[in-house]
Amino acid sequence: MKKVLKWIFWIALGVVLILIPKFCGIYYTNFFVGFAIMAVFSQALNLELGYTRLLNFGPAMFFGMGGYGTALALQHIPGMPLLGALISGVFLAALLALILCPLIVRVSGVAFAMLHVAFSMLLYMLALKLRAITGGEDGIAGFPTPPFSIPGVISIDMKNPLNFYYFAIVVLGICMWLMWFITQTPFGQVMVGIRDNPKRIDYLGFRVPESKGLVYILGGAFAGAAGAVFALFQNLISVDSITIVNSFTPILMTMVGGIGTFFGPILGAAFFQVLEEVARHYTDRIELVMGLMLIIVVLFAPMGFMGLYRDIKAKLAATSSDIKI
Amino acid sequence: MNILETKGLYHDYSGLKVLFDVNLQVEEGERHAIIGPNGAGKTTLFNAITGTLCPSQGKVFFKGKDVTGAKPYQLTRMGMGRSFQLTSTFNRLATFQNVRLAILSQKGIRFNLFRKVDKMMDITQETLEILKRINLDEEMMIPASLLSYGKHRSLEISMALATNPDLILLDEPTAGMSRDETHTAVEMIKRLTKGKTVVIVEHDMDVIFSLADRITVLHYGQILATGTQDEIRQNQAVKDAYLGEAKV
Repeated sequence: MKKVLKWIFWIALGVVLILIPKFCGIYYTNFFVGFAIMAVFSQALNLELGYTRLLNFGPAMFFGMGGYGTALALQHIPGMPLLGALISGVFLAALLALILCPLIVRVSGVAFAMLHVAFSMLLYMLALKLRAITGGEDGIAGFPTPPFSIPGVISIDMKNPLNFYYFAIVVLGICMWLMWFITQTPFGQVMVGIRDNPKRIDYLGFRVPESKGLVYILGGAFAGAAGAVFALFQNLISVDSITIVNSFTPILMTMVGGIGTFFGPILGAAFFQVLEEVARHYTDRIELVMGLMLIIVVLFAPMGFMGLYRDIKAKLAATSSDIKI
Repeated sequence: MNILETKGLYHDYSGLKVLFDVNLQVEEGERHAIIGPNGAGKTTLFNAITGTLCPSQGKVFFKGKDVTGAKPYQLTRMGMGRSFQLTSTFNRLATFQNVRLAILSQKGIRFNLFRKVDKMMDITQETLEILKRINLDEEMMIPASLLSYGKHRSLEISMALATNPDLILLDEPTAGMSRDETHTAVEMIKRLTKGKTVVIVEHDMDVIFSLADRITVLHYGQILATGTQDEIRQNQAVKDAYLGEAKV
């Protein structure tokens, strides 16, 4: 019975995703792609922040790396296929994580967080000053968008927003599923173990620094994937993606949605995207509205929406068992 | 054969000398207790053996190999398990998940990203068996932090045992337990550590005299005496330093 319901849910979700462009128009279709990118970005951060408690305060580094990797590959390598460009972005982000992780897994807590702020500032300045490569403040724009093609089988034009929507949703959906799968594996158990009690994980015979490093690289790679899709989506990548603001957006989304839960970051991303969209109609001071909402959520639901949901469920269960007595 | 041996172990915390020329010998298969008044250096000795800290001087031998300064995870893989004086479990994880992590490590499943852990039936089965043996099968879905104190301590000890070590170091396993809980815990330790080498730090004399084959008395970082229960009871130095005081 439960299995049937699960299948019905997935099929319904698939149908909704397919039909979104039909009923919502191009504006809201693109709005949905924006949300999906942020959801994957937040989830990648959640793997580190929520599941393993690695206080990564500079996730935008990896997002930006993914974007620049894809944009540079498309700009400089003629005949670069779409998936190849995407993979170069992911690879570059993972490479950055790999380079940083020998240093970073040895520190924890505040030092870990501060090192990330420092490194993302460093990368921001590099992207700003290395004009020849990154285009400085203007970023890289107008790079070619190749069609999605399997030679001899199929070739889909990606300049068509509708086709790009399906492409982005499939890529981001796969990323999301992979991240969910990781949390279900034995390694996912080690991750939450490190969050709860790294000393004990060590005494059980697991290698703590190496495990942290792997989470870090995985998180970086998925953030890079979000960045790569973002660059293709906007046909632009600029230093704005590496700013501290872009680092804190997924942190806020994760916190508000519910840190350490799988649906939290998705919910948080949806909440902030919709809030921004609604607020835009009434005021130019969007940050003010978002800040206000953040204060309200932190005050009344410190564990985010998922925490609130859990509390309400527990309360309801408690009252119904009271009646039985 | 000595499974565990320390040779001339010294340790000081920035000038405060805690261990002073400790030569401990633990034979394979015995239950060895370390007793001593508060601040005698028992936990420091444990930490120096299990890799939490590196002794300032001296050597630790485990199974005949020099393991001075080895990391905890290396020692665990060599077959050393330890429990903590202050309960140290994964508090937000269910009891079941706590034990399962120990089993996963023991099976060498450490970086597996390709299979769902819930689908690994052999792991689940083994975890359930251990939970049953320690009478925690009814509480297996409860987060470890919500267990009663006694049950939480049992979980702590059983996680050390679940990695299937040859040498088990228990740091005050019955600390803070009620008399009944202590009795149950002692029975459990006896049952679960059959045929294994156990080193145990304890304050409770009843526990020590019902568990230990041999006893080492630690006093201000030095070994005062080592021997069987009777030898320790008769030892004048021990009486003066420790047991005598307890009787007054």
